[in-house]
Formats: sequence, structure tokens, C-alpha cells
Amino acid sequence: MACRTAPSNPGGSLHALPPFRIFDIGAHKRRFDAGDAAPIAASDPSIIERLTMNTSTPKASPLARIALAFALVLGLFAVGSLVVPGQAQALEVTQCTAAPNEDGGNQILGGAETRITWRGQAAEDESVSSIVLTMPEGLQFDADGVKVTGLDELDRVELNAQITIPGDGTMHIDFPEPAPAGLSFLVETYGATFPTEGGTFTVSTQITDADGTVSDLGPSSEIQVAGLSKSEQLSSWLEDQEWVQAWNSNRFLHMFFDPTLIVTSIPSVAQGWVTALGIVIIAFPLAIVVGFLLALLRMSKLLPLRAIASLYVNIVRGTPMFLQIYIAFFGLPLLGVNVDNFALGCIVMALNSCAYLCEIFRAGIQSINKGQFEAARSLGMSAPQTMLSVIIPQAFRNVIPTMTNELITLYKDTSLLAAVGIMETVMYAKTITAATGNITPYIVAALFYLVVTLPMTAITRRMETGSTKKSSKKGKGLFGKSSSSDKGSWTPATDGTSTKLEVKQPDYF
Amino acid sequence: MTTETISNAPAQAGSEQPIVRIQDLHKSFGGTEVLKGIDLDVHRGEVVVVLGPSGSGKSTMLRCINRLEEPTSGHIWFEDVEITNPKTNLNKVREHVGMVFQSFNLFPHLTAKENVMLAQRKVLKRSKEEAARVAEVQLERVGLADRMDHYPSELSGGQQQRVAIARALAMDPHVMLFDEATSALDPELVRGVLDVMKELARGGMTMIVVTHEMGFARDVADRVVFMEGGVIVEEGAPDQVFGNPKSERTRAFIGDIS
Repeated sequence: MACRTAPSNPGGSLHALPPFRIFDIGAHKRRFDAGDAAPIAASDPSIIERLTMNTSTPKASPLARIALAFALVLGLFAVGSLVVPGQAQALEVTQCTAAPNEDGGNQILGGAETRITWRGQAAEDESVSSIVLTMPEGLQFDADGVKVTGLDELDRVELNAQITIPGDGTMHIDFPEPAPAGLSFLVETYGATFPTEGGTFTVSTQITDADGTVSDLGPSSEIQVAGLSKSEQLSSWLEDQEWVQAWNSNRFLHMFFDPTLIVTSIPSVAQGWVTALGIVIIAFPLAIVVGFLLALLRMSKLLPLRAIASLYVNIVRGTPMFLQIYIAFFGLPLLGVNVDNFALGCIVMALNSCAYLCEIFRAGIQSINKGQFEAARSLGMSAPQTMLSVIIPQAFRNVIPTMTNELITLYKDTSLLAAVGIMETVMYAKTITAATGNITPYIVAALFYLVVTLPMTAITRRMETGSTKKSSKKGKGLFGKSSSSDKGSWTPATDGTSTKLEVKQPDYF
Repeated sequence: MTTETISNAPAQAGSEQPIVRIQDLHKSFGGTEVLKGIDLDVHRGEVVVVLGPSGSGKSTMLRCINRLEEPTSGHIWFEDVEITNPKTNLNKVREHVGMVFQSFNLFPHLTAKENVMLAQRKVLKRSKEEAARVAEVQLERVGLADRMDHYPSELSGGQQQRVAIARALAMDPHVMLFDEATSALDPELVRGVLDVMKELARGGMTMIVVTHEMGFARDVADRVVFMEGGVIVEEGAPDQVFGNPKSERTRAFIGDIS
């Protein structure tokens, strides 16, 4: 019904549009669908309210029981009035709702325009001459956006309604000629804006009948309004700026760099970013431990251990991670194993990354000069002691740059988890893009990746140049050269202890 | 390999038991035989200098003594332990056999002092204080009291090699093996290392020294061994080997380099 009347409303519906133009038609439709469904849902609470209102005002206590019985009968009548209108004793508010104005959701948001629908059903013998609605506190609305319709059963009745808004938060609807008895009233307030902070609101109704009887119907059922976040406020402010409108008039800039969408995307994409970081923070240390054990297995003297480790590493490195994610996420439930998505995501990432880290560690350990091993062993150190105290500390330093690269890869690969519905960076961006048809959220997601990867790449580069550069005194040998003959760094002054020993340097054979 | 045990290790006739005894040592790398039956006894306090052209097997023989190289056949005894016996606890033997390498092989992630302390702590289980004290003594002994907290990359080659010697000495070795300890050094740095080695020899340390330093061999060696082609061609006192070599090959070798 509302759907049909809306387009004829002057100037209202266009203002109520959300900032996301592309999806406007769909959003509109959804909004109206929700509005249509509302009357039925809202009718019951209003009856209960009327019941409690009546029971709470008995004139004398001995008559309480009678009053209660009366109220019950009245209540039954009220229920009956929905089915057979016109049998009620006085006007009854059958609906008081606001239309959802959230993009891709069904919440009523503050700070954005919405439509408030109020319906009242007059009793069969009741002729209304005036309706005074006390609108929610802080609501912005004006007389132009108010549309009053009379309905007799399904027929529209022309009403000469005079709408005045005195500015005290009330709306006066006066009928110079009292409306026909038993009429149903529909008051739609287009372009109404709830306060940005949101809250719970009601509309109070006061009716004046043709015979001068004034009845106070009290507050309506509650309207829940969600507050607008800072970014949404900023976004709607930007929406109104001329330069933003000029910017968005360029199709490319609008589709890829819409300022209003950047502002609204950042908080939600940031949530996904935190998830992605969480996955990395859990998965990477796990991958380091497993990868290191794999590396030790791959260098084991025992062939079966070597074979198992090699098989694992080659399979993982030889198949796409995308496939591994699918196998884990769709395979495990088929086996009846149900793991939390986030935990499984961490495990899959770790099991993938550890294969690459295994090879990094193996290369790092094998790159250590054999002389280091021999020197340690010649001092009587056991193989494990040599590994722990001599080889690993050096190997670890050597592999830090490659390890950082693997960390960057792992971090970027968390995006693949979007395919199985894990709410990480890309998934959030994807959701907003799906709702708006705009690429901007993906650009925002890209920025969230770069915020991490660019500094890490810079650090890696510094470490790489630092390790190849001959370490100076400042370097404290952190990335000191291997101890193989270092002819460049001698200091003759400290070494020239004079003896009379005659030394002839022989030719090498 | 025979199952000869420690108890029936043959004692050299007419003198005390040697500290190192090598018997019929063979070593092949793939199909190439590098050592073709080496017999050598080294006595306590003796300084044996091994000379010979490159590829003669000097280093391989030395590395077989602490089994960094696995002998193909033959026997080696250290004191009364047969090193070539597979059941021997090699780590126990290596504690007492110090080795100095051509390429120093210091641990680059540790300071000079830490280099000297590491094996003391891990192998001899000395306390940190004890190990530090020994390290200081040994580093002072090799003339590096002022370089203890330097990393190897901050030291000259000669200094690095002296740290390596201190590192080996800190384990209280019964014998020291020097594998071309000065070959990787610039000429002006050689002397400092040789001085330390001479000092050690004077102190009565048993040493087996593979080197090209003829001067050192002449001055310090009790015995000179000349190797070529995987066999010992000639051995004797330095005066005899340098002054009046029996073998034509030795004569040619000494003539070439001096």
C-alpha cells in the first residue's frame, strides 16, 4: 500500500535515499517491504498497551474487578476491531513505525532520513476533528513531508487536513470538516530524521472528536533507533559537500575512490584487518615451530624421517593454497570434524607456511660454513649442543629477511580465507562492495594490506643490505660475517708484536 | 676393522707409551686414496711438524686424529683410548684434543670471550664465573686482553686465530693439532700466531703442526715428518731432514721453498 502511495509523495522519497546510489532501487524495495509487514506486527503491542492503560485507571477500588472484566471485554473488542473494523469504542492507534534506512540491513538509523508511519482507526461512531501527535524528542521533520490519507476499508477518502507544526515537537492535524465516522487515518511523515545518537522513541496521540471530546491515547509502541557511528556521520556530511559531489561525478573516481564510502568502509574493513592480523599472529609462530621441526627431519640421518618431511613439504608447496583451504574447510565437516572457522583458518595457514619455512630454515642451516660445525665438534660439543649454540643462532640471523618475506606472503594469503567465509579484510570489503556495487571498499582493503607490507618490506631490505655490508663496530656483529678468512679487516698495529723469528712466507703449492 | 681393544694396544718398545699412535691409517674419498698407510707415534711433550706439498694428505691425517674425518681403515690411539673404535665416546676424546683450523672457525655471533667460554660451559660444565676466568687467562696468554669483548668480525685474521688458539687451550687439551694455522693470514700477521705457538711448545704442550712455515719447523720442531702422496716419505730431527734429507723428494721440496 505504502509502496503505491510513496512515489506520489512530493519531495519525500528522494531525500530518504541512502548514500549508496547504485543499490537504491533494491534498498527502497526492501524498506517498503519492511514497512508493509509492520502494521500486523505492531498491532498486538498497541492492544496490550491499551489494555494496561485501561486497567491502570479504575475509578474505585471495589469496582476493580468489574473494571478488569470490562477491560478484558474491551480488549477482545479491540482484537475484533482488527478483523471487523468499526466495532471499537474510540480511536485506536494500529501502527506507529519508522521505515528501516540502513544499507543492506533492517535497522532504523539516526541521522539519516526515514519515514514514520502512524495509523489510527476511529470507532464506528467516532468522527475525528483533530489529531495531535507528539513526535519523538529531537526528531527533525517538516509539514511538507507529512501526508495524511483517509481510508474507508480499502477506499481512499479525500481529506482536507491542515497540518501545523508549532515547533514544540508536536504535529497538529486539523480537519475543518470532521472526518467521516469510522475512518482509518494514515499519517506518513517523510524525510524525518531521528537524532544521530539513536535511542528509543514513542509517538503520543491526542484525539479531538467532532463533539469536542478530547482523549489522550498515550505513547505508542516503541521505535528503536540505532545511533549513527562517527564515520557514518562523517560520511553523510561528506555526502552533502559540493566537492565530494563533483568528485563523484567522475565515474572512475566515484567507483574506485568514493570519499563517503572510504569513510564508511574503514571501520568495518578494519575489523577484518584485525581478524587477519590475529590469524597471522597465531599462525606464524606455529608455522615457525613446525617448520623448524620439519627442517630438522629433512636433514635427519634416518631415511624414513627424511622421506616423510620431504613428502609433506613437496605436496604443500606443489599445490595451491586455495585448494588446501577448500579441502580443509569442506573436507573436515564431511568427516564429522567441526572446528571453529577462525581456528581452522589459523591451522591451515600455519600448515601451509611451515612447509615454506622448513625450506628456508634448511637452507639457512646448510648455508652455515662446515667449519663452524667442525670447530664446535673439535671442542667436544655434541651434535645437539653444536646445533643449539652455534648453528641455529647464526642460521636464524641469516634467515630473518627470508622469513619476513614469508610472513608478508602469509599475511597476504589470509585473503584466500574469504573464499570460505572467514570475516577477514577482503571479506568485509566484499560485503560492502556487494551492497553498494562500488569498488572503493576493495581499495580500502588494499590500503590495509599495504599499511603492514610496505614497512615490513622496508625493514627486510634494510636487514638484507645490513647483512651483506661488512659489519662495523656499531654493528656489534649482529650480522657478522662468517669467520672464513677475513683479510680485509685486520689492523696491523695491534698485531705486529716484534720477534726476531725469521719467517719466510712460502709459496702455496 | 679388527676388534682390538684399548688394553692390548701395542706399546712402543723401549720408551713410554705415545700420546698419539697412528697405525696403518688409510683414507679414501670416493675412489681416491688420500692416505695410503700412515704410521706415526707422537710422544708427550713432543712437537711434530708435518710438511709436504698440497694434496699429500697432511691435513686429512690430522683430521683423522680427532675423527673429523672418518678413517677408511687403520687404528689411532689417543692416550689409552682407541679413537677408531666405533664405541668410543668421541666427544670425550675431543675434549682433550685441541684443534686450530686454517680458517679460524670462530663463532661469529659470539665475542672473543664468549667464543672461549662456550665449550667450557657446555662440555666441561664449568660455571659461568669459572669459564670467564679461564677465558680471560687464555686470552691474555695469546695477547688479546684488550680484545675480549670484540666480535670476530672486528678482529684481524691474526687476532682471530689467536682467539681460536685460546679457545682450544681453555679446554686443557693434552695435545694440540694445528691445521695450517697461518696459511690464511697476511704475512705481517703470521708472526703473532707463530709466537703464540712457540710459547706453547716451550711450555711443554704436545703439538702436531701441519704447516708451510719452514722457519717454525726448524726452530721449534722436535721431529719433522715429510709426507707426499699419502705416505710418510721421511721423518727425523729438523737438522737431519732440512740439512741432509735422505729422500730425493724431500730434498726437492725443501730446495723448492727455501
